Amino acid sequence: MLIPRRVKHRKQHHPSRSGRAKGGTEINFGEYAIQALEPAYVTNRQIESARIAMTRHIRRGGKVWISIYPDRPLTKKPAETRMGSGKGSPEWWVANVKPGRVLFELSGVAEPVAREAMRRAIHKLPMKCRFITREGEV
Amino acid sequence: MADFRLDAESRTEFGKGSARRTRRAGRVPAVLYGHGQDVVHLSLPAREFAAALRNGGTNVLLTIVLDGKEQLALTKAVQRDPLTRVHEHVDLLLVRRGEKTTVEVPIVIVGQPAPDAIPNHQLNTVSIEADATRLPDSIEVDVTGREAGQGITAGDLALPAGSTLITDPEALVIGFLGAPTAEALEAELAEAEAEAGIEREESDEAAEGAGEGDVVPEPQDQGSGESMDAAENSKND
Repeated sequence: MLIPRRVKHRKQHHPSRSGRAKGGTEINFGEYAIQALEPAYVTNRQIESARIAMTRHIRRGGKVWISIYPDRPLTKKPAETRMGSGKGSPEWWVANVKPGRVLFELSGVAEPVAREAMRRAIHKLPMKCRFITREGEV
Repeated sequence: MADFRLDAESRTEFGKGSARRTRRAGRVPAVLYGHGQDVVHLSLPAREFAAALRNGGTNVLLTIVLDGKEQLALTKAVQRDPLTRVHEHVDLLLVRRGEKTTVEVPIVIVGQPAPDAIPNHQLNTVSIEADATRLPDSIEVDVTGREAGQGITAGDLALPAGSTLITDPEALVIGFLGAPTAEALEAELAEAEAEAGIEREESDEAAEGAGEGDVVPEPQDQGSGESMDAAENSKND
């Protein structure tokens, strides 16, 4: 799974959930892509689960690119703990995804196969997404 | 090539407020420049412009009718909203009939490569110089029977008559990657599933709930860990 090798600060503030993607909104490598339509924190496990779902469907035929990286830690205090006594320990690594962001790209397969593979991957993600192609058809 | 005529209106007020009013009125703000003339600020009908791009491709030749005067133009840059896909602004480049112009033409793959080869675009477009009235929509590349390790360079492309390649002919356009074997792919996926703690079942729905409450092991060598003592103490309480 995707985890940063080292970080400058192991406990960070929560990333901002507002706004829209400033970049990474176009397809750069593949022919098809998944684009986020809502803001969300996507955990490294969700990213991996979506990648596996896509790869299992396309089998040996295509190539998958992951365009997001879970570089923000979220913390959690242990259960049944009183408030205070400092911030909890890092529990999740998430990518802060804004609407419009391209999450995964895919190439090397026919469009119906790509569409179905990405539909399966979208079901693993915590927000509304859509399938887009390089030509801009939605 | 189809003729796409767009009735343009000149713009006299500028800025985001004016641009938004223009868009609300169903028009796209645009600028027209080229051949050393002053920049002309204008607006185009949004529906007709979108239809022209959809039917004519990115290198569509437009006939801009402004104040009764017709001018030929190509799209130099098109800004689109990534979510709504609405055209927000267009840069138009003035061209003349018979003039040679340099444009980026997309590459389209046709055919199926060998079973163990995956085509991998290194360049999605190539620059060509061609007559402004005879610009191709795309350049097709036949990859039938290509095997892993092979490549198609820009010099190998079949360009339309009358056009010249500007991109380096040695530049790789499409490479062919070797597909992993079925065993290697299955082993990689099984390892990834085991690492992520995903239990694979035949139905997709069974694996859908796997995204909650995952605990990622803490990476080593991070930060000072000043508050970890407090967390440990709270656990002991």
